[in-house]
Amino acid sequence: MKILVVEDEIQLQQTIVQFLENEKFIVETASTFSEGIDKLISFDYDCILLDIMLPDGDGISLLKELKKMNKKSAVIILSAKDSVDDKVEGLLVGADDYLAKPFHFAELLARIKVVFRKNHQNGEQNISYKNIILNPEDRRVLIDNNEVKLNRKEYDLLYYFMLRPEKVFQKTTLAESVWGDHIELVDSLDFIYSQIKNLRKKLKEAQAEADIQAVYGVGYKLV
Amino acid sequence: MKTSLKNYTFRYLTISLLAVLAIWAILFRSFILDEVYDNVDDGLKNQKIEIIRQSYVDPEVIKTNKFGLNQFRILPVKQEEYNEMNRLTNEMVFMPYDGEDEPYRYLRTGFYGKDGKPYALEIRTSTVEEDDLIYDLSMALFALYFFILISILLVNHFALKKAYQPFDKILKQLQSYRFGQSKELNPIETNVIEFELLQSEIASMINRNEQVFYNQKVFIGNASHELQTPLAIAINKLDLLLEQDNFEEKDYIQLAEAKNSLWRMVSLNRSLLMLSKIENHQYNIKEEVNFNQLIQETLDDYEAIFETEEIKIITEFNAEFKTLFNRDLANILISNLIRNAIKHNNKEKLILIKINHENELSISNTSDLFALNTSEIYNRFYKQGFHVESNGLGLSIVDTILKNQETIQIDYQYKDGLHQFILKK
Repeated sequence: MKILVVEDEIQLQQTIVQFLENEKFIVETASTFSEGIDKLISFDYDCILLDIMLPDGDGISLLKELKKMNKKSAVIILSAKDSVDDKVEGLLVGADDYLAKPFHFAELLARIKVVFRKNHQNGEQNISYKNIILNPEDRRVLIDNNEVKLNRKEYDLLYYFMLRPEKVFQKTTLAESVWGDHIELVDSLDFIYSQIKNLRKKLKEAQAEADIQAVYGVGYKLV
Repeated sequence: MKTSLKNYTFRYLTISLLAVLAIWAILFRSFILDEVYDNVDDGLKNQKIEIIRQSYVDPEVIKTNKFGLNQFRILPVKQEEYNEMNRLTNEMVFMPYDGEDEPYRYLRTGFYGKDGKPYALEIRTSTVEEDDLIYDLSMALFALYFFILISILLVNHFALKKAYQPFDKILKQLQSYRFGQSKELNPIETNVIEFELLQSEIASMINRNEQVFYNQKVFIGNASHELQTPLAIAINKLDLLLEQDNFEEKDYIQLAEAKNSLWRMVSLNRSLLMLSKIENHQYNIKEEVNFNQLIQETLDDYEAIFETEEIKIITEFNAEFKTLFNRDLANILISNLIRNAIKHNNKEKLILIKINHENELSISNTSDLFALNTSEIYNRFYKQGFHVESNGLGLSIVDTILKNQETIQIDYQYKDGLHQFILKK
C-alpha cells in the first residue's frame, strides 16, 4: 500500500514516514504544493496524508486538483487548525477523513485503514489475528467463526488492538482513541483496566488464541 | 450621599442663590433707604425754610413750643447753645393712636427770629410708611427667591431632562455593552458639543479596547496554533521511541510519562483554541437541539468512567428542554458541565440531572468544596481544589459558549450540599 505524505514540516514528515514504514507501508513525501502536484500527476497512491497549510499553496486546492485528475486515492487531511470550517470544507471537497494535529499514531493508522477499506470495497474487509476475525463493516467479531457479543467500547478497544497486534498501546492512547479526550477527568486510568478485564474475559470465554497483556507502567498489547 | 445631576446643581443653586439674593437685598435696601431719607430730609429742609419765613410774617408761629398738628416746635435758646447746623436723626416716638413707639425723622436747627433772638427749631416727620416699604421689599425679595428656585426646579425637570436625553441614551448603550462583542455604539443626534465629544471619545475608547482585545485573541489563537506542530513532532517522536524494544521498563515508563505531559499540554492548547474559535463566532449555525437526548448520549459516553469511579447518576426528565443552539457547542457545553460534576465530586459520588420543566435544566453534584464564588469560577485558569489534571478552562468554555449563543443563561447555587448549575432559557 502506497502512501504520499504532503507535509511541509520536515521533522513531522519524517516521523510520520518512519512510523508508516514500520507499519510496512510504502511511503513517499512532498514538502510543497508544487512537489505534491508533481507526484500526484506522475504516480498513483492508495492514500494521501495532506497538510492544509503549505508554503506555496493550501492543501484544499491540492485536493481539488486531485479530484480533477479523477484519481481514486483516499485523502486524510492533517491540520493543525482543528477548525470546523476547514473540516467541513475539506470533507466537502472530497477528503475522506480529517485528523487534527497532534495525533496518536495509533489513531492515524486506524483512520488510514478505514479510508483504505472504504476505497477498496471489493477487497479483503476483515481484519484477522490468530483465530479472531473482526469485521469493521458491521462491527462483528468472530472467534473460531462463533460470534462474540461485545459492547461498543469493548469492540473499539479490540479494533485498535487488532490493527496493530503485538504492539504496545499506551493507556492514554487507548483512552483518547476510544473515549475521546475525556481521560483528564479521572485521576487514574483504572477504568481502562476494568474495560480490558471484561474484554479479556470475553475473549477467553470464546477460546481466543490471542490475549491482551499488560505492559507494566505503559499500557497493553495483543499477543 | 449620591444624588442625580439635576438635584446636585439644584442643591448648590439653592444655597448660592440665597447668598446672592441676601447680599443683593442688603445693598438694594440701603440704597432705597438712602433715597427715602434723602427725600424725607429734602421735605424737612423745605419745611424749615417755610416755617422760618412764616415766623417772620406771623409772630404767633414763634410761640409754637409743642409738637402739635404742625409737627414742629420752636424753643428759645441761649446764645451759647445756638446752632445753625441742620442735624438729622431718627428717633422713636410714642404714638397714642396705636399705643406703640413709631420711627420719626427729626431735623434740628437754629435761626434768629424777627426779634433778633436765637431760637432752636425742631421739625419731625413720621417715617412709618417708608418702613412698610422696606418690609414689602423684603417680602418681594423672598417671593422672588422662591419663584427663581421653583423656576430652576421646573427648568431642571423639563428642559434638562430633554437636554440630557442624548446623555441618557449614551448611558443606556454603555449599560448594555458587553466587552468583546465588537458591537458599534449607535450614533446619537445631538447639538450639544460636550455630548458629541463624549460619544466620540467613548466610541474611540471602545474601539481601542476592542482592538487590543482582538489582537490578544488573535495572539492566543496563533500561539496555541503554532504550538500544535512542535507538540505533534515531540509526541510522534516519543511514539516512535516507545515502539522500539531495546529499552528497559523504567525507560518506557519515563517516555510514557513525558508523552502524557505533552498530551496534557495539547488538551490545554485545544481548550484555548476552542475558546478563541467560539469567540471568533465560528459556531454560528444554530438548530433546535434536544438537550434530553444530548445528555443521554453524553452519559452513555461516560458510562465506563461512572462505572469505575462508582458515581451514581440520577436523571429526572419530566419535560423536554429544547432550544436553538449550535450542536457542537451544545455537546461541549453539556460534557463540560458533566465533567465538572465528575471532577469535583467527593466520596458521596452523586450527580443529579433534572429537567423539571421545559425551560430549566439543572446539573448538581456532591462535593467537598463549599459554595463557589460565582464571580471567579468562569475565569480562565481559575482552579478550585487540588486537581492537578484540571486545566481550569472547563467552566470558562461553558461561559463563553453561553455568551456566544445567547439563548441560554447559567445560574449557580449551593443548596442542600449540592453544587447546582442551572441552565435557563
